[in-house]
Amino acid sequence: MTDTDANSSPANPVQVRRAVIIGGNRIPFARAGGAYAKSSNQDMLTAALDGLIARFGLQDERIGEVAAGAVLKHSRDFNLTREAVLGSALSPETPAYDLQQACATGLETVLGLANKIKLGQIESGIAGGVDSASDAPIAVSEGLRGILLDLSRARTLTQRLSILSRIRPKDLAPDAPSTAEPRTGLSMGEHQALTTAAWKINRQSQDELALASHKNLAAAYDRGFFDDLLTPYRGLTRDSNLRADSSLAKLAKLKPAFGVSLGGEATMTAGNSTPLTDGASTVLLASEEWARAHDLPMLASVVDGEAAAVDFVHGADGLLMAPVFAVPRLLARNALSLADFDFIEIHEAFAGTVLSTLAAWEDVEFGRSRLGLEGAFGSVDRSRLNVNGSSLAAGHPFAATGGRLVASLAKLLHHKGTVDGRPARGLISVCAAGGQGVAAILESR
Amino acid sequence: MSGPAAHEQVHVLTGMPSLSKLYVNAAAAAAKSRVLGGASHTSLPPRCHEVRGVVADLAKMTEYQHLLGKPARDVMPSGFIHAMAFPVAMSVMVSEDFPLPLLGMIHLKNRVRHLGPVLYTQPVSIRSWARRLSGHRAGTQVEVVVEVRADGSAELLWRGVSTYLAKGVFLPGVDKPAAPGVGWDAANTPFNPPDPTALWRLGVDAGRAYAAVSGDFNPIHLSVLSAKVLGMRRSLAHGMYLAARVLSDVGSPEPDAFSWEITFEAPVFLPASVAVHITDTRNDDGLWQRSEYVGWNVHSGRRHFCGSVAAL
Repeated sequence: MTDTDANSSPANPVQVRRAVIIGGNRIPFARAGGAYAKSSNQDMLTAALDGLIARFGLQDERIGEVAAGAVLKHSRDFNLTREAVLGSALSPETPAYDLQQACATGLETVLGLANKIKLGQIESGIAGGVDSASDAPIAVSEGLRGILLDLSRARTLTQRLSILSRIRPKDLAPDAPSTAEPRTGLSMGEHQALTTAAWKINRQSQDELALASHKNLAAAYDRGFFDDLLTPYRGLTRDSNLRADSSLAKLAKLKPAFGVSLGGEATMTAGNSTPLTDGASTVLLASEEWARAHDLPMLASVVDGEAAAVDFVHGADGLLMAPVFAVPRLLARNALSLADFDFIEIHEAFAGTVLSTLAAWEDVEFGRSRLGLEGAFGSVDRSRLNVNGSSLAAGHPFAATGGRLVASLAKLLHHKGTVDGRPARGLISVCAAGGQGVAAILESR
Repeated sequence: MSGPAAHEQVHVLTGMPSLSKLYVNAAAAAAKSRVLGGASHTSLPPRCHEVRGVVADLAKMTEYQHLLGKPARDVMPSGFIHAMAFPVAMSVMVSEDFPLPLLGMIHLKNRVRHLGPVLYTQPVSIRSWARRLSGHRAGTQVEVVVEVRADGSAELLWRGVSTYLAKGVFLPGVDKPAAPGVGWDAANTPFNPPDPTALWRLGVDAGRAYAAVSGDFNPIHLSVLSAKVLGMRRSLAHGMYLAARVLSDVGSPEPDAFSWEITFEAPVFLPASVAVHITDTRNDDGLWQRSEYVGWNVHSGRRHFCGSVAAL
């Protein structure tokens, strides 16, 4: 359903005090089963946090609040962020909470803490996210779980024996997490394959986007862009998925990985899709007063954010197409168009996701019928898109991607300074499982 | 219309019949008719069967809801009401004077009118009878009607009509239809699969899992071996599992009052990958009106079922 009301009567965002981004720190992202194969979520989040604390001198500092999350979580990770704080050099009096909004987790922690800062509830905050596809939780089967829970409630030996006798061999098979959407049974890649085909995105344009991601990320590393955004961990100094020597010819050789049995031409490969990845990221946020009092830099302000969700279950929209709706609503509220942004970061879950998003925004009919606009929403100047590479090259440890995007964009905006007398502007768009998406506007300081 | 008023005889059963006993009786009847010759009846029993004061088993309902991926609400899922009422329907089909053999019958079609939400705590009366014995190109078909009412009330809550085919059974005096029958033999018509909106990966144990929550232990669903005894090459998914699963996929919560129907075509032999496409129709106000659905085999492209769900 098109929410035309949100477009036709934009409310101005409430003007409150500013929330600024001081900086960020992440560990290099590692392909699953690689350098971080034995590292837990807590290990990696702590590593990213340690680097942030060291960079900004936060030892023994009582931070207003730390918010982070993981998508793939062990039951022991119920208080993951607070545990990471307790294991860090931050003051033990720093409160923390966990948040989970699939791949939008990291960006949502930034928005949530920025809002608290804007409202004066806290002066400083650390947002972040972590995920391990290697150290993923594996649960006992539903059958065994039911039996074990019944067993814990049994009172007599006879009851216990009778419950234990219910165990069948198939109950002993473990239950591993899967990327299938609970309501459709289709994997995220299969969902995107349907969207990619619906928007007629061809193989070559996807491979080109993937190649640009690798080239841009490699160039950013080479010129030292990540030197103050990253702390080495477990021997890694760069994202292990990065292929600086990738080429269109190499990408063209890869076999389709998704949508092979869905009918139509399969165009999505391991090269133009993000791999399963391990990693963690953090972002330091604060009020201007706190930043000044601590003599810390201010890279950018968090201007506004918007979440959206689509009805993907019966295919009305693609699973990863919610940002297509979030961004127009966000921009309408701030009286901005795509052309007003100097940098645009669209999370590369799959090359097809980015290209489908751009295609939808350029489509006149979609703009009219679905976005409630007079025509197409607009075009993204490709020279401003993911200029330092994105998830296709860096990898995508689900909850850690938001922190990577925010810290990198804030630094980029700060370098850009002003454009035509106004602060440089950046847009972030992240799609997420469950048909969700979150977008945010940052402005240089 | 043949409604309950049409029945001179209402045979009130003292309690819910046991499905396992009914299957044993059916097997015994099948053996008996094999020894003593074919069916001696060529018309349907003139009475309906009724069970009063039936209350759902909450634990079973919860298991059913979880198996079908539904949030376990206190309102009974439409498919669960079918499962709960099924023993009464089956008691009609294993009657001495029922003209068709129960075992090996093929489920062709189901039409249900679900007239209002039914809480699991609601005691209900369940009435069932058979009607419309008619010829089919491949045998003889029959409709079995089930009506569910709040106990002691005349107001109908749920009404289902199941169409079954006794393949290869031709009764004297029952004509074959001129037009092709519904379902099953329509599976040979060409079908171009649309983009799927869902993909079901059904394991070999899908039949046993549904049997456990529905009580329908028909041997064709339980194992390769038990299915082979009844002439199937492998075990197959319950039609009502497919119907309930697609109802669950159409939306949650179920509407207060709605109708749904399903036509079964190629049987789903287990294990299977079934692709499903659901198309929603909304009115001018954006409110859901109906959904059409179709399910097919991902690999062969053969259509397994199709149908619709509509607001009442």
